[in-house]
Amino acid sequence: MHTSRKPHVGLLLLLAGLLVARSGAAQPGAAQSGAAPGDDVRAGGVMFGQLCVTCHGFGGGGGAGPPLNRPKLLNAPDEASLRAVISDGIPDRGMPRVRRTTPTELRQLVAYVQSLGATVAAPVKGNPAKGAQLYAAQGCAGCHIVNGQGGVLGPVLSDVGRLRGAAYLRQAMVDPGAVLPSGTLPIPSRGYKEYLPVRVVAADGQVVRGVRLNEDVFTIQIRDAAGRMHSFRKSEAKAIQREEGISLMPAYGDRLKGEDLDDLVAYLSTLGGVR
Amino acid sequence: MRVQYGRRATLVVAGVWAASVLVGAQVPYQRLLQADREPQNWLTYAGSYKSQRYSALDQINRQTVPRLKVAWAYQMRPGVVETSPLVVDGTMYLTEPPSTVTALDVRSGRPIWSYTPSIPPDVIVIGSPPVNRGVAILDDTVFLGTVNGHLIALDARSGAVRWDVTVQDNKSGYYLTLAPLALDGKVIVGVSGAETGIRGFIDAYEPKSGKLLWRTYAIPAPGDPGFETWGPGNGWQTGGGSTWLTGSYDPELRLLYWTTGNPAPDWNADNRPGDNLYTDSVLALDPDTGRLKWHFQFTPEDVHDWDSNQTVILFEATVGGRERKLLGQANRNGFYYVLDRESGVFITGVPYAKQTWADGLDAKGRPMRKKGIAPSPEGTLVFPNIQGASNWYLGLYQFEAPCMLGNTNWYSPSYSPQTKLFYQHAREMGTIYYKGEAVYKPGTAFTGGGGRYVNGDDASGAIRALDAVTGKLKWEFPLLSPGWTSLLSTAGGLVFGGTEEGNFIALDAESGKPLWDLQLGGAVRGIPIAYGVDGKQFVAVAAGTTLFVFGLP
Repeated sequence: MHTSRKPHVGLLLLLAGLLVARSGAAQPGAAQSGAAPGDDVRAGGVMFGQLCVTCHGFGGGGGAGPPLNRPKLLNAPDEASLRAVISDGIPDRGMPRVRRTTPTELRQLVAYVQSLGATVAAPVKGNPAKGAQLYAAQGCAGCHIVNGQGGVLGPVLSDVGRLRGAAYLRQAMVDPGAVLPSGTLPIPSRGYKEYLPVRVVAADGQVVRGVRLNEDVFTIQIRDAAGRMHSFRKSEAKAIQREEGISLMPAYGDRLKGEDLDDLVAYLSTLGGVR
Repeated sequence: MRVQYGRRATLVVAGVWAASVLVGAQVPYQRLLQADREPQNWLTYAGSYKSQRYSALDQINRQTVPRLKVAWAYQMRPGVVETSPLVVDGTMYLTEPPSTVTALDVRSGRPIWSYTPSIPPDVIVIGSPPVNRGVAILDDTVFLGTVNGHLIALDARSGAVRWDVTVQDNKSGYYLTLAPLALDGKVIVGVSGAETGIRGFIDAYEPKSGKLLWRTYAIPAPGDPGFETWGPGNGWQTGGGSTWLTGSYDPELRLLYWTTGNPAPDWNADNRPGDNLYTDSVLALDPDTGRLKWHFQFTPEDVHDWDSNQTVILFEATVGGRERKLLGQANRNGFYYVLDRESGVFITGVPYAKQTWADGLDAKGRPMRKKGIAPSPEGTLVFPNIQGASNWYLGLYQFEAPCMLGNTNWYSPSYSPQTKLFYQHAREMGTIYYKGEAVYKPGTAFTGGGGRYVNGDDASGAIRALDAVTGKLKWEFPLLSPGWTSLLSTAGGLVFGGTEEGNFIALDAESGKPLWDLQLGGAVRGIPIAYGVDGKQFVAVAAGTTLFVFGLP
């Protein structure tokens, strides 16, 4: 039942590369942090480059993980909570715990992340109001929920502006198959690909295609494009095909150009939770 | 349907019942020595001194297992559960996280007594979750190791404390997670804590008084043989070599086999140039004196946190035309080893999981290490994971995601004398290993780096059956993700194991074909055992924080 597995690391590095290339954000290192150029901040910046940049982006500009270049972090508003988040992680949301740092290393990492709060985040290009109109016109709500309204085939977007950087949002619309979402399932994904497209041929020959909701050794749960949930005992299915490298979300790179894309990214960047 | 247990073994049960009613639990050394003669009980951590985790009960077998049902369940305290219960004459002794022991009535699952030691809130547990893997019993005393570094003797009938000794001060990072091993007139324990730069050791205590009988260090002192493998500095003093899992014992050879963990700091060998004896080794000790008879080192100068504490299974087989006493281990470094357990001579060593760090083993079993596999500031991708092909929780930066943990870890393998197969869960996952600074300060992390697991859909696990002598793969049952499952084989021709997703599974021991499974709703990290009561066989395993007991209706 197991399909071939592609090297995940390469994908992550590719993503990191894309973020650098597209975001125009700060380069690694603390030089642009804006804080006192202390040794701790510098050393913490090196560690950040090793451990955190893949998800949080260079200079903490955000990516698959939340941007950190803001004055107050939701889950880590003060030093103690920031230490706790680094040490314990937020495993259910995809943030791994970083264990076995020495006290010095932890202090350095905290110093660097806090220094990012003093950086001025580059304003997101585009017109959010026009973006909201595009969101409705393009039918995004067919698959996504904002403020409790919409479809459930794709991730909930109610607070996507707080959780993801602008470069990531743009990338996710232009080529959604390049990187599937992370930390967006309503259950812990434990590192597994979220919203992975799967095609199942059931015992009676019926073909079901949808996104994976969950899986264990013997069973798999799928939601189809109509929003129906299907549960299969693997041994009873005729075929189970994981469609790696693609997303069920259409690529909007050809449909949205220039300013339209900017406007939609700007709108999504305003989404900060249900109000 | 075979009912061998229904005839012969039931008589034994009846006899033992009578005795237990009169005098309470009595497990003299003689019973431990012959644990295989009373399969209705589970008297030591791994079922017997050979650590085969094999049950001679066969009421639950290939034909009957599809009818297996939950008999009862017991909900434990919150925490990570990696325990292997004991069952003695109708009572189960179960440990709960972090260091509680509870006695349960095996007929009903109802608790009889529970003992929780006082654990200070600032207890130092670095290198693993605060777990406990089980207790030992000898005569009428239960022995419990605790995460604050104590060994405690409890009255098996009531849980009353008989004595409580400090094995080593927890302020320096020493702690106990293992099930002690009871021998004749001594209780053996080892320690965890290499991630704080401890100097590991194996201790023997007098069961009646708690008096220390001997201590053997896993790292030699100046003047001792092997000291020269630590370079010119003081690296040996903080060199790790934890002894955190229960050993095995050959009463005929009078040899105690104990395994050792990684050198410290885990990922930075700058202060310990050399082989770092006796880390990542198996030691054969004289149980009366603790004197080292022979040693075999699996991973010299380890820089990947590949503890070699995995259970060593003792078995006999014909090698080169003669019957040999052997020892088998699936090591966290990705190789399966067979040694002559009388002499320590290397016989076989082959990979049982993906590894990218060695070109193989030489004629003496020493790895031929590849270039460019050492951790680096920018990160080096190596298989197996930090948690090994079969181990757990390592690294400077430990991520929740899988695999600094190597191809294996603490979880028990199994050997069936019926099939002559060695059953092992293998983790197929790489780790990006980082080298970092290492500054020793007592009771704090001293690891010199870390690792990031390459997990999710890019990692997997498998339950594998290896020819115990050659290590050749006989079959495998693929798992969705690298797990932490221990395995139990039985005379019913079955292998029991579980998954991180909560499946508990019975496989055909000959073919690996799944014959029964049930979703338990929590990761299966408990260690399965089998026992019998009133002529019925049961299988017990913990998933999440619940112990489940299964039997035929």
